[in-house]
Amino acid sequence: MTVFRKSVGYVAGIAIAATTGLVSYRALQAEGPEPPAVISGVPRDFPDAADDLVKRGQYLTRAADCEACHTVVGGAPFSGGRPFKLPFGTIYATNLTPDRETGIGGWSDARFLRAVRDGIGTHGNLYPAMSYTSYTALSTADALAIKAYLSSLKPVHATVPTGTLSFPFNQRWGMKLWNLVFFHPHRYKPDPTRDAQWNRGAYLATALGHCGECHTPRNIGFAMRSREYLAGTVVEGWKAYNTTSNATYGIGEWSDEQLTGYLAQGHAHGRSSAAGPMAEVVEHSLQYLTPSDIQALVVYLRGIDPVRGVGSDRVELKPAAVVASTNLLPAGDAAGGNTRGRQLFEGDCAGCHQFNGVGRQSEYASLAGSHAVNDTTGTSMLQVILDGSSLTVNGRRQVMPGFGAAYSNEDVAAVANYVLAHFGSKLGKIDAAAVAKARQTH
Amino acid sequence: MITLNINGIDYSFDGDPEMPLLWYLRDEAGLTGTKFGCGMALCGACTVHVDGAPARSCMLPVGAVRGRITTIEAVAETHVGRAVQEAWVKAQVPQCGYCQSGQVMTASALLAKDAKPTEADIDAAMSGNICRCATYNRIREAINDAAEVLTR
Ligand code: FES
Ligand code: FES
Repeated sequence: MTVFRKSVGYVAGIAIAATTGLVSYRALQAEGPEPPAVISGVPRDFPDAADDLVKRGQYLTRAADCEACHTVVGGAPFSGGRPFKLPFGTIYATNLTPDRETGIGGWSDARFLRAVRDGIGTHGNLYPAMSYTSYTALSTADALAIKAYLSSLKPVHATVPTGTLSFPFNQRWGMKLWNLVFFHPHRYKPDPTRDAQWNRGAYLATALGHCGECHTPRNIGFAMRSREYLAGTVVEGWKAYNTTSNATYGIGEWSDEQLTGYLAQGHAHGRSSAAGPMAEVVEHSLQYLTPSDIQALVVYLRGIDPVRGVGSDRVELKPAAVVASTNLLPAGDAAGGNTRGRQLFEGDCAGCHQFNGVGRQSEYASLAGSHAVNDTTGTSMLQVILDGSSLTVNGRRQVMPGFGAAYSNEDVAAVANYVLAHFGSKLGKIDAAAVAKARQTH
Repeated sequence: MITLNINGIDYSFDGDPEMPLLWYLRDEAGLTGTKFGCGMALCGACTVHVDGAPARSCMLPVGAVRGRITTIEAVAETHVGRAVQEAWVKAQVPQCGYCQSGQVMTASALLAKDAKPTEADIDAAMSGNICRCATYNRIREAINDAAEVLTR
């Protein structure tokens, strides 16, 4: 007993000493100077914003993509309530409109900065589903411009539901410990070995766009694994693909034109179209970036260390069956014995997607070369088949209807495997159980 | 200003480029032979040709059209289209007729590409055109008949 008590005391002692050490170490770490204005702020090619704080704020709010997360389907923009299903429960995005009771009306600058950059909200520490781990790098001027824009919106009275996290994750003090270990408060620190364009791209991709929050795998403590930065992972049932410069599994072999097209319009000719959460990013955020900012992002992404990532499949750019097919007729029997999959594709999909993979009504419907039809797990493809996808760019809406209500799990699996075979030259092993699981993630 | 070439005639339009081509054909150009079924590119009733390839006009914004449009009103001006229409009449394919403009457009695109389609080819090309009256057997018969006339 005494031995036990002693060892408990011993362990506790070490823990306290370690925590105190970490706290004082962190306290000594400076957040660093403000990033210079060429790197932060709005770009030079952003029209007439010099003396309009709200306009600048709107640009930066879009670049930081606040709207996608802080708006629930059918709700007023920025009024919160969108649920985030985490492995340990559900939390809800807050209301960012200037409503005094339920939103950020009456917030002081300091309070806003604390929430955005330090992750400390009205009820204590925020969960890192809110990307303060990225926003910490924002300049004060940019964060306050965002606040100015949000404050200019019409106040919406909208109370968001309380989260349903299970113990111990519902203990907000737990986040204090998490922050100690995983959160590094800092302002964006320019890399002196790179030019201003690269640094602007880095600021856009990290402090504002927080790409890594979805595209970087997380460790067991839900923090981003820095060595696999942008190597791709699964988020809310969708694949956030590898966007490192890896030639085979990342975007290393995408042309500048493809990258620009994807970022600015959600479609890379001969490659992928954005769907699901990435479609939201393009719709609410990326399409509004100026050409110089898109260019800076391209330059930055090209400089990311190539990482293979896990669970990646090689993208087939010229699948044999697609090459052999015409727009109306399939060839090169990719179906194998999967006649059901082929029949479904003929009836419901070919009308837009076409057997030669180029897309009929819209090139957004082209399938050849897209990541989703080359991923043998079918992760994102299943979501698109079940729920459809929609993307509005430059006022033009691209839409694919969902088939989840009309198709059985077996049918979804059959058509998904057919698509993998025909458009990716891959043997899909998607079964009804995988489809049932995919149905649960949305 | 958008210029559309429909059945050999140039039309100019300065309205919303997002207007679906189907809407333009029916309401602006007065070409009501093309029908509205689902509006989601799922039924094929609205099929027209853009440079000879079948396209669902309900999901094709006028601003995105690249090529010459042919509708059911002018499909008989091509050799294949005429053969298809004649075979359709001969086999008395339509029941209510609502889906048939789309069926004829897809069938003529198929035969223009492949004058001797197999049964599987007909399935592959025609499955996207739905017929509520289930005239599928007669559609198949007419396509085979037209194919025979065309390869004679
Ligand atoms: S109306 Fe266009 S496909 Fe149904
Ligand atoms: S003939 Fe009636 S829908 Fe086809």
